[in-house]
Amino acid sequence: MKEEAATTVERAAEPLPAESPRARFDLLRTKQIVLPIATAAAFLILWEIAVRVARIPSVILPPPSEVYDTFLRTYPLLLQHAVPTMIETVVGFALATVLGVALAVVITYSPTWRAALYPNLVLFQLIPKIALAPLFIVWLGIGMESRLAFALFITFFPIVISMATGLAEVDRAMLRLCRALTATEWQVFVNVRFPYSLPYLFSGMKIGMTMAMIGVIVGEFITAQEGLGYIIIFATSRSETAVIIAAIGLLCALGLALYGVVVLAELAMKRWYYGR
Amino acid sequence: MSTAYIEADRIRKIYNPGPEAVEALSSISFTVQPGEFISILGPSGCGKSTLLMMVGGLESLSAGRLLVGGRAIEGPRTDIGVIFQDPTLLPWKTALDNVLFPIHILKKPKAEYRERAEALLRMVGLQSAMGQRPHQLSGGMKQRVAICRALVYEPELLLMDEPFSALDAISRDEMNVELLEIWDKYRKTVLFVTHSIREAVFLSDRVLVMGGRPATIVSDVRCPFPRPRDFAIGESKEFNEICKFLREKIEEGYGRRRRGAGLERATA
Repeated sequence: MKEEAATTVERAAEPLPAESPRARFDLLRTKQIVLPIATAAAFLILWEIAVRVARIPSVILPPPSEVYDTFLRTYPLLLQHAVPTMIETVVGFALATVLGVALAVVITYSPTWRAALYPNLVLFQLIPKIALAPLFIVWLGIGMESRLAFALFITFFPIVISMATGLAEVDRAMLRLCRALTATEWQVFVNVRFPYSLPYLFSGMKIGMTMAMIGVIVGEFITAQEGLGYIIIFATSRSETAVIIAAIGLLCALGLALYGVVVLAELAMKRWYYGR
Repeated sequence: MSTAYIEADRIRKIYNPGPEAVEALSSISFTVQPGEFISILGPSGCGKSTLLMMVGGLESLSAGRLLVGGRAIEGPRTDIGVIFQDPTLLPWKTALDNVLFPIHILKKPKAEYRERAEALLRMVGLQSAMGQRPHQLSGGMKQRVAICRALVYEPELLLMDEPFSALDAISRDEMNVELLEIWDKYRKTVLFVTHSIREAVFLSDRVLVMGGRPATIVSDVRCPFPRPRDFAIGESKEFNEICKFLREKIEEGYGRRRRGAGLERATA
């Protein structure tokens, strides 16, 4: 019996067989990174082949190679119009975040305001807010103000709702501890409620970021003054499908970049939050 | 008797006053001398936590008088520290900063208390974990941090609400021994709520047994073991006799119906 026990202990002390966790990690990474990229590339290749084989006219669907050529030809114009789109998106998003957090705080601390506003906010979150875009043109004209205000408007709801959820979901036991320590409401907010709600705020901000860009583009569709949305409408009127797709491609890239900034900020927050 | 540190005089707790009123605690009276370690023992849901929270000013009294240190309890006070069932640490703060959290809230000079916080963490064996976040700590380690947090601002009275009930049996025994070591060093008055009879007898100078509906104190038993104590006393005849006596008192407190149900289950 004693000998057996000794061998078990010895065995436990041996290093694990070298089924390296690194190799497994690499395999996982291959699956998670290479596979989606390969799928997207395959889609583009298929698109190119299909258009050529079926002889689809360029006005209906230009092949990716033609879109790329068009982009190289028109990118000074596209980039010039990307500037107002980006500015309106970023400013609309930033204002929506500030206002959303402020209203979430009001809702959290005032039961009356909560009762009055929260159900309506949830309702507004559910309705197709895009349909309200023309009203903003009626009220604010066809300039940057109306597009910005509309972007702010549709970005605001996901942010205020997730922030209010975060502020409300704070650990009850933690609040009780603060009460036992005779903490003031302000101390509880700064030290506990707000930091606790940050993960919620960021999930709202990620949705909000995509919303902000949608809002700006819809505004540009309608006002037809400037911006990539305007370029798309303009190219549509002239049946320049390759320009449409090039502009959409640029929009996608810019949208992803803005979303990426929010994700990076979220990563920084999580590093602070969990210390990793 | 005027030297008592805690004086509870016929305190009651009634929920939903009016026709639907529910009396949870009925006429509870007890006194605690300064520096005593008192356990409040009773089955789950008997109102022992409510009683503790009343002493901590976190629950209001419906009737009666409750003095701590000669002053009536009207709300939370900084001469009373509370340790809850969950450690409730802030996930973004290190163990050391969590211990210093009350100092921050009470606006005391952090530099002065930093050393004390470090000494407390060293005392509970967390010297190497001071810079770690709660998610890196085990349940027992987290509860140790919570105890240090309650001690750091030097309250005179420590209220502990089943602080070890979420731990496994081994960690729990360890924490009991450690708690006594801490208590030997700091000699605060402690009110300790638990539903473990052996834990109560091992730790306390006196055990108050709660029972009945509405609940009241059905027994007040002295645990006359010399300190410092170790687990050996758990095997003594006297220890086990006290435990047996307390168990009977708890069963009486439950009422006949519950005991009958227990018997049925035992014979089935």
